[in-house]
This record gives sequence, structure tokens and C-alpha cells, in this order.
Amino acid sequence: MSRKIILVAALGILFVMFFLSMEEMEDLFKNDAKLYFFEHGLDDTGSSNLITAILLDYRLFDSLFEAGILLVAVSGVIWISRHDFEERNAHFMLDKYKTPELFVTLSRFVFPLLLMLGFFIILNGHLTPGGGFQGGAVVATAILLLYYINLERKTDISLIVAVVKFAYLGIVLTASISLITRGEIFTNFMAVDAPTMSKYIYIIALDILIGINVALCLWAIFTAFLKEGR
Amino acid sequence: MNDLMWIDIIAYVLQFMLIAIAVVVVLQKNNSTIVLLVVAFSLVVSGLYVINHAPDVAIAEVAIGAAIIPLIYVISISRQREFIVLDRAMDDFIISNNDFTGIGYVLLKRFTDYYHLELNICNDPGLCSWEAGPDKVICEKTNVDLIVSRDEEKGVYQLKGKESSLLMTKLAQMAEDYDDIEVHTFTERGFGE
Amino acid sequence: MNPVLTFIVVLIGLYGLATSKNIIKSVFCVTIIESGVILLFLNFANYEGGAIPIVSEDVAAIVDPLPHALMITTIVIGSAVTALALIICIKVFHHYGSTEWAQILRREDVK
Repeated sequence: MSRKIILVAALGILFVMFFLSMEEMEDLFKNDAKLYFFEHGLDDTGSSNLITAILLDYRLFDSLFEAGILLVAVSGVIWISRHDFEERNAHFMLDKYKTPELFVTLSRFVFPLLLMLGFFIILNGHLTPGGGFQGGAVVATAILLLYYINLERKTDISLIVAVVKFAYLGIVLTASISLITRGEIFTNFMAVDAPTMSKYIYIIALDILIGINVALCLWAIFTAFLKEGR
Repeated sequence: MNDLMWIDIIAYVLQFMLIAIAVVVVLQKNNSTIVLLVVAFSLVVSGLYVINHAPDVAIAEVAIGAAIIPLIYVISISRQREFIVLDRAMDDFIISNNDFTGIGYVLLKRFTDYYHLELNICNDPGLCSWEAGPDKVICEKTNVDLIVSRDEEKGVYQLKGKESSLLMTKLAQMAEDYDDIEVHTFTERGFGE
Repeated sequence: MNPVLTFIVVLIGLYGLATSKNIIKSVFCVTIIESGVILLFLNFANYEGGAIPIVSEDVAAIVDPLPHALMITTIVIGSAVTALALIICIKVFHHYGSTEWAQILRREDVK
């Protein structure tokens, strides 16, 4: 009981400290940096959506290592859940978790729509809210529905991981082209004064690669979990 | 001005909802209920993201927090509710008269009811007739928790499980009343080796 | 849109993390803290009169897009962290037969 009192007291001190420093924290993002993004973002990167501009151009290192961390997490999950018997003890769970018929029918109807939404979010990352990460997550959710439709679906995780590795290599290479064309690494490979439309090529290409990376990584993660659950 | 006020009211309602859900999650003991609460939390919080002018973050939160994260939670919770037994004896120890009335089944059922687990008996022919195997190797490489086999020389049934598991001590206690059942444990390689 | 109310959610999550008896519940509390921290950042970035950070002709002022970009990274990495934590939970249950912190820590071979 005394432990809980100490804990509550510590949390109370934390709360008071937060309350005192809130004034300064509120000025954290109220400086003029956003004015720079607003005035130069479209001309620098060719992306109206400034979040995509930051993720794919100004702070590309973030995205690179984020995709890398996702890859590392996938390899960790697969290593921990490794089984030498491939789905040997799979069959006895299948009849127990039989999906309702209504749900299967609804999944069949929703799956193409969800997949289309995912591709839309990926391809329009420079114009509307969205981008590679969000679109990849939506596509992964669509793929998840396939498991409800057909429970006995077999997935080769090693193939997924191989494709993810090549997609990651593709991200790094696409981002490095600018070293040749522009002289600085990890930015748009079109010239700075090129028309905005031609800068779309780089944004869309990188968005598609990041979308593939995220979707396949999440697919591998939940396939490993589904195998564990059987 | 009127529109702005409505948005403020909605934001405050959602924030208090968020606090309420968080409190219930902390107080709730049942893990399967918490999964549904976390989905609700994720949806409410993504609504707040939209009100905070961040639709990109909201899309990411809805796609990941409301679909993929609950799935892996549900799987890991359901895995912790079941006790998988591999039946290598292949006689009337578990199934007698084509029904689950064998002496071993009664013991195991009592044991799993004590821990609120779900008994899952598997007699996969591929694993049972797998010759190469000492039982230890099977236990290490699959999810099987307990292996039932018959020792022909002594005429007793052997229940084998991991030495590290807390459940095995209780099982050994319960099996003391039966003469023809022995409980064996073996040391697995350490966690993470 | 009050940062204080959001910080209370983070504190509740911290309390749950410190007092939870089950491993999975600790992971739940980590998820809640994560969402709370993300909302805190977005609260600080938001201000009255700011619009969604997409450049178009009829927008005069935008909110800062930098924290939004950082928070997308946080969400994706948070899902990876949750997945790793849960798969380790499953392995712990297989090895020790329990997912209560107290029962596992009481064993001699853990120390």
C-alpha cells in the first residue's frame, strides 16, 4: 500500500512539473519554421502535402531508418517464433475458429475496396493526406482479410522477407540517385528549377517502394503470429 | 464562430472519453475485454488527431491501431488460454469408448479447469509417429506443452513436460493419487539460447 | 484541446504500467502511453486558425507539419515494438507456464 502512495505522489510531482513547463512547451512548434515549409515546401520538393515533403525529402533519413527498424523487427519476430516443423500442428485449430459465413461474404466484398483505398492513399501521397506508410498499413489490413476468407492459406514468409529486402534496397538506391544528378545525397533527383509535375516522379516512386516495404513487413508480422496461434 | 464552438465541445467530450477508457483499461482484469477497449481507445484517439489538424496521423492510427494490433493481441491472449497435449500413447488412456472419458482425460481436465485453461488434445499422426524423436526435441521445436506416452516395461503412463513450467509442479501433485501415472520433467535449454 | 487532459491519460498509463500484474497488460499500458504522447505532440503543434498542412491557394496559415511527420514514424515503430513484445510474451508462457510477473520472478532460475 505504501508503494502505491509513493507511486501516486511521484506521478503527482510529474503532473505539477508538466503544468509549470506547459507555457514553454506550447511555444515549441509556434516558431517560424512552419512558414518556411509553407512558402518553400512545394517549390523545393514538388509535394503539396508538406508531411510527405518532410518524410521523403527534408528528413529522408527518418524514413530510411524507420523502414530499416521495421525490417529488423520482422526478423526478430520470425527468429523468436521459428518452428522446425512447418505448420505441423496446424490442423486442429481450424474447425474451432471457424469464421461466420456473413463475415466471409462481407470480407469478399470489402477486400477489393480496401485494396483500392490503399493504392489510392499511396499514389496520392503528394496531394492528399496519406503516403507510403499509411497506404502500406491499409494494404496490409486488406491482405489480412484474405486470411478470414480462406483460413488454410499458406504463406511463405521467407519469400516476403526477400521481397522486402529488395524494396528496401530500392528505397536507398532511388534516394541516392540525387548524388549523381544534383550533387547531394537523399533528396529529389530532379533539378531544383524543374517544373513541379516532373518532381512527382520521385515522390510517387519512393511512396510506392515505402508502401511495399511497410505492407509486406506488417504482412510478415501477422503471418508469424497466425502461425503461432494455430 | 458557432462551428468552432461545436468542435471544441466534441474535442472535450472525446478527451474525457479517452480518460474514462484509460481508467477502465487499468482497472479491468480480463485481458480479452481490454482488447476491445484498446480498439475503442484507438478510434477515439484518431478522431482527436483529425480535430488537431493531423489527418495523416489519423489514417496511420486507424489502419494499424484498429486492425493489426488487436489481431496480434487476440492471438497472443488465446495462446495463453490453452494447454496443448500431444497424445502418443494411442490407446484408451484419453479416449475410451469413443468418448473423452479415459482416466487421463479426467485428470487433465481437472488440472486445466483449476488454471482456467482450455485443454487441447492433439494426436497429429505426423508428430506421433515421428521416430527420430526423444520427446524433449518435440517439445522444444513445437508448441506442445505436455506429451503423453506409455512405458511398456513398467506398464505406466508417462506425462512429460518442461521443468521450467510452473504448471508441472501442480500436475505432479494432482497425479500422486493415481498409481499408473508418472510425471516426468526435463530441463529445456534456457530461454533465449 | 487541452494538453493537461492528454497528460492525464499518459499518467494513467504510467500508473497502469507500474501496477499491472500481467505481462500482456503491461504491453497494453505501453500502447496507451504511446497514443497519449502522440496526442500531446499534436496538441502542442495545433493552434487556432491553423489549417491542415497541405499547400493550396485558399490556405493562409498551416500548423507545423514537422511533429506530424515524426508521429507517423512513432506509430509504425510502435506497432513493431508491440509485435516483438507480444511474441516474447508467448514464448515466456510456453517456457514458464504463466504470464504473471510475480509468479515468474519468484522462481530461482530467473534471478
